[in-house]
Amino acid sequence: MAQPATSRRIRVHPVLGEDLRRDVVAITVDGQPLPAFAGEPIAAALLAHGITAGRTMPETDAPRGYFCGVGRCPDCSMTVGGELNVRTCVTPVRDGMVIETQRGLGIWKVGG
Amino acid sequence: MRESDVAVVGAGPAGIGAALAAARNGVSVVLIDENSAVGGHLRWTLAPQTGFEPALDGLTGIEIAGWAAGALADAGVGVLTDSVAWGLFEENVLGVATPDASFRLRARAVVVATGSTDSVWPFPGWQLPGVMTATAALRAMHLDRVLPGFRCVVLGAGSLAEVVASDLTSCGAAVVLRAGNVDGLVAGGDGAVAWVESDGQRTACDAVILAFGRQPDAELALQAQAALAYSPNDGVFVPWRDETLATRLAGVYVAGDAGGVGTAARSYVEGLVAGAAASGGDGLTDALERLREIAADQVPDSPLPAIADATLVCRCEEVSAASIRTAINTGAISLNDIKRRTRAGMGICQGIYCHRTVAQMLSTETGIPLDTIVPMTARPPARLLSMAAMADLET
Repeated sequence: MAQPATSRRIRVHPVLGEDLRRDVVAITVDGQPLPAFAGEPIAAALLAHGITAGRTMPETDAPRGYFCGVGRCPDCSMTVGGELNVRTCVTPVRDGMVIETQRGLGIWKVGG
Repeated sequence: MRESDVAVVGAGPAGIGAALAAARNGVSVVLIDENSAVGGHLRWTLAPQTGFEPALDGLTGIEIAGWAAGALADAGVGVLTDSVAWGLFEENVLGVATPDASFRLRARAVVVATGSTDSVWPFPGWQLPGVMTATAALRAMHLDRVLPGFRCVVLGAGSLAEVVASDLTSCGAAVVLRAGNVDGLVAGGDGAVAWVESDGQRTACDAVILAFGRQPDAELALQAQAALAYSPNDGVFVPWRDETLATRLAGVYVAGDAGGVGTAARSYVEGLVAGAAASGGDGLTDALERLREIAADQVPDSPLPAIADATLVCRCEEVSAASIRTAINTGAISLNDIKRRTRAGMGICQGIYCHRTVAQMLSTETGIPLDTIVPMTARPPARLLSMAAMADLET
């Protein structure tokens, strides 16, 4: 019997084979530094670390996360580099990105 | 204003077919897609395909997406990725935003090949993080190489649910529960989904995948007020099309899932038909012959489950079933009525994930037949668009 997986990364895909990506960069998620592959969607990098929630909703303050996977819904939106409402499922990771959980519609930092 | 003979929106199977067929007739073709590469759902489809071209039989969807990138380049198609066609206006003018430009594009013919979106049914707790569409799960596994969860619940009774469950297992996740519909199902957890409960049985999980099937997504044609027809197979209205897949709008065609959900190969062949018809007609007879050999094959998914009042129906605007019932019980008789009263369908997803539920609720509560409940009014922009893209629109 196969060992239970410990990482959500699919290192050896049953059809696609071994993951050959080596371009690991550092991102910061709510102050915590995490490794990610350059160019992968932010939401995928978060999911790989078991982070499924990205925001809370304006009306109910309830948490939401990666839902549609194709940029159609607002659920995976986070604050990225100070910019609000960034859909993390369709936004690629870049080195040094500062990613924050977004409360409701977030707060613009004027002149920041 | 930029110009092109043919503009194709959406680079999935239908858009690929349409762009290739049109380019073969020697006209200029622009192909616009919001993703970073062509292929649409093929980019995360592992199943071997048949019915595209004989030389491609047996290749996976992922491999065919790779083939398409080369074939489109060889054919001289102008491919705009990471780009959205956000509006379709009079005289076949598209509003287009690319990473570095914002412009109007006038085309002699427009092929709307915008595909389909996951069908979803609501249940208590479906808004929790960890609950996701089949597309989100398949994309995570096969494009981004990440498991949606270790212990997954898969909902849905059709072939999509089969694919999702089988792919999850082969990628190393456990499928801890499968259910054909959401009747009596409740999901819960503190901050993220941790369990589902069904028939008094609680199952621990860290992901729930909604795999109920797919629904046509032809928003641009709806915006342009194309005449519609009810598709019993899909349970929603789609643009009316003649044999060549032309809508009632001059020069506007709809190909592939956007006109009614089918297989990827069928979408490709529909693309060949629309692309040939949109570019002078050479190749149309052959393409039509191929299309006639393919049966439409989607089985309608499960009907509306019983929805408890507290269940969220519109995710974007956080509208509960109770609010929608109140609107119906106080006189709303159309989707637009309900939208105005409750904001259901007014959010970022433009109603794509709630309109079917709201239509079914309206039909159930009032007896109005589903095939007379027309879609909510669609207005530009069809996608999120920055104010900068509007401000920078080329004259």
